[in-house]
Amino acid sequence: METKLSDLKSGNIATVTKVAGSGAVKRRIADMGITPGARIEMIRNAPLGDPIEFKVRGYLLTLRRSEAEDVMVSTEVQR
Amino acid sequence: MTVRVALIGNPNVGKSVIFNNLVPGARQHVGNWPGKTVEKKTGKYRYKGEEYELVDLPGCYSLTARAVDELVSRTYILEEKPDVVVDIVDASNVERNLYLTLLLMELETNIVVALNQMDVAKSKGYTIRTEALASRLGVPVVETIATQKVGMEKLKAAIENAAKSPKPASLTYPSDIEDLIEKLVTILSADASLVTHHPARWLAIKLIERDKEVLEMIQETTLDSKIEEVFA
Repeated sequence: METKLSDLKSGNIATVTKVAGSGAVKRRIADMGITPGARIEMIRNAPLGDPIEFKVRGYLLTLRRSEAEDVMVSTEVQR
Repeated sequence: MTVRVALIGNPNVGKSVIFNNLVPGARQHVGNWPGKTVEKKTGKYRYKGEEYELVDLPGCYSLTARAVDELVSRTYILEEKPDVVVDIVDASNVERNLYLTLLLMELETNIVVALNQMDVAKSKGYTIRTEALASRLGVPVVETIATQKVGMEKLKAAIENAAKSPKPASLTYPSDIEDLIEKLVTILSADASLVTHHPARWLAIKLIERDKEVLEMIQETTLDSKIEEVFA
């Protein structure tokens, strides 16, 4: 099922399908290793739900909720 | 003749520890990059009778034109053309760190990879096939544990070796991208001053990425319209 990265719950693992958005932010997100095919795990929310911490490519990355909304992921587990 | 060496790597990979191991404290010089509030640390050391000047570039994840520290590193490599670029890779997080390595290879730098924090990698249960990594990348890879001064002599030897027989790194992309690169390189090569300062292939790759700084650079030349035709 395809969903927004920002909608994952703690412990959910997904595969990145698409990075929307444009310009600097899109480039930055790709630079941080969030590219189609990358496996990403939602770790936890900050107390007010923003930002969100993820694990991707073996390290922890924190994104603003608005940035995570631009990333589409598939929650079907791919092995 | 002084060999000029640049140190680069992601933040928190032990870059400064390696710098401090190679250059005795009294021989370090700390200042700022001209016009930037980014610290510039330089220093000299001797190895086998040769003098080496080391520059500690700002820690960065990427080499875009958008962040000051990244641009400082990129501009230094492009314009100062150091003899050797030492890329410090966190062995406990290789996948993340190799991204910068590939960007440095695109810049056709003469790279030595220092696989640092090997102790942390080991404690995480990782085994790294260092030789396989070196042969796949086509660049020398040295294992180090900077905090324990392990691998420093090997690193100095690898830097010496790279300085004596420079071998610019290269990366090959899938054929559709290579075709596009080739077309752009042909056009770019017409501007001699442009390609003496920047590798034509690198400019082509950055044009495909729509890199802000490179696009502006091209707008100042007469090649602008020809390049837009390629993308049309």
